[in-house]
Amino acid sequence: MDRNQLQRQVALKRSSLFEQQFLDSQQFVQLEDLEDDANPNFVEEIVTLFYKDSARLFQKIEQTMQSRSIDFGKLDDYMHQFKGSSSSIGAIKVKNECSQFKEFCSAGNAEGCFWAFQRVKQEHHTLRIQLESYFQLRKQAGLVRRV
Amino acid sequence: MEEDEFPIGLKILVVDDDETCLFILERMLQSLKYQVTKCRGAEEALCILREDKGKFDIVISDVHMPTMEEGFKLLETVGLEMKLPVIMMSSDDNHETMKKGIIHGACDYLVKPFQRTALRLIWQHVVRNRRNMVALAAAVAEPKSCVLVEDDDDDDLVASPAKKRRRLVWTAQLHHQFVTAVNQLGHKSTYYECFTN
Repeated sequence: MDRNQLQRQVALKRSSLFEQQFLDSQQFVQLEDLEDDANPNFVEEIVTLFYKDSARLFQKIEQTMQSRSIDFGKLDDYMHQFKGSSSSIGAIKVKNECSQFKEFCSAGNAEGCFWAFQRVKQEHHTLRIQLESYFQLRKQAGLVRRV
Repeated sequence: MEEDEFPIGLKILVVDDDETCLFILERMLQSLKYQVTKCRGAEEALCILREDKGKFDIVISDVHMPTMEEGFKLLETVGLEMKLPVIMMSSDDNHETMKKGIIHGACDYLVKPFQRTALRLIWQHVVRNRRNMVALAAAVAEPKSCVLVEDDDDDDLVASPAKKRRRLVWTAQLHHQFVTAVNQLGHKSTYYECFTN
């Protein structure tokens, strides 16, 4: 596949991420606009940071949910932070599942929280696969700036 | 900072316990040519601010770090101790939280995720704050230039310019400092004495 075709693939992939609501185009474009010669791979760096940080938060959430008497206040605080960072990268579906989780949390519904957390992790994982494939395509198309 | 360069190089301290948000905000502010220092919590922020009081022009801080208490405590401390303007930010767009932020002295409250354009004009808070600090210093230096009188509607003391020579702009920040001073001084009459002598 030649370079032009690859670049078209990248554009198509990017559009589909927006159309399928994996990503909020407005927010994601904001991040893309922050890339320049000094920060050529900012978007990928931020996404990598997000996944590293969310692993840490997920661990805390899981630990809290495993205790005999669940501290819903703490759970809500952790999920609030995760929701915030998800929306900062424009992760719509993930953010929506977070809101669902928070509702169960407010109601003190442990079962609901367990169920909602599975959905959060699922969307989180799906988005990761999608983004990895997108960044891979970008590299192949030579769209990643080399300083 | 040179006048014609302003607001380029405005020194901003950014506080957020979420790394993703912290890095994005840093990058946004840098792209606007501001100078950014970032840190992950209230304690670290206060350490940095106390180390060199004159170093920063403005602070931008998250509310939940991880609870509201940390965010609002930092807001109050920075306002009272360093007299710097503080912008609060949060993905919490609850009106009560926003109101609480303003009452505790925040000069602005940004709801996350925000666009870069929301940050473009934050330098205005720096200018406003500096003006208010100058006015406050003048009022304290020459108390007769600004007399505090009891408002008819409630028991609040409000600033009323005497002889129309100096105008004091009464901000939430000033109000907070004023409340602290009154509490320290105790009885109202003592307070009046202080300002009419």
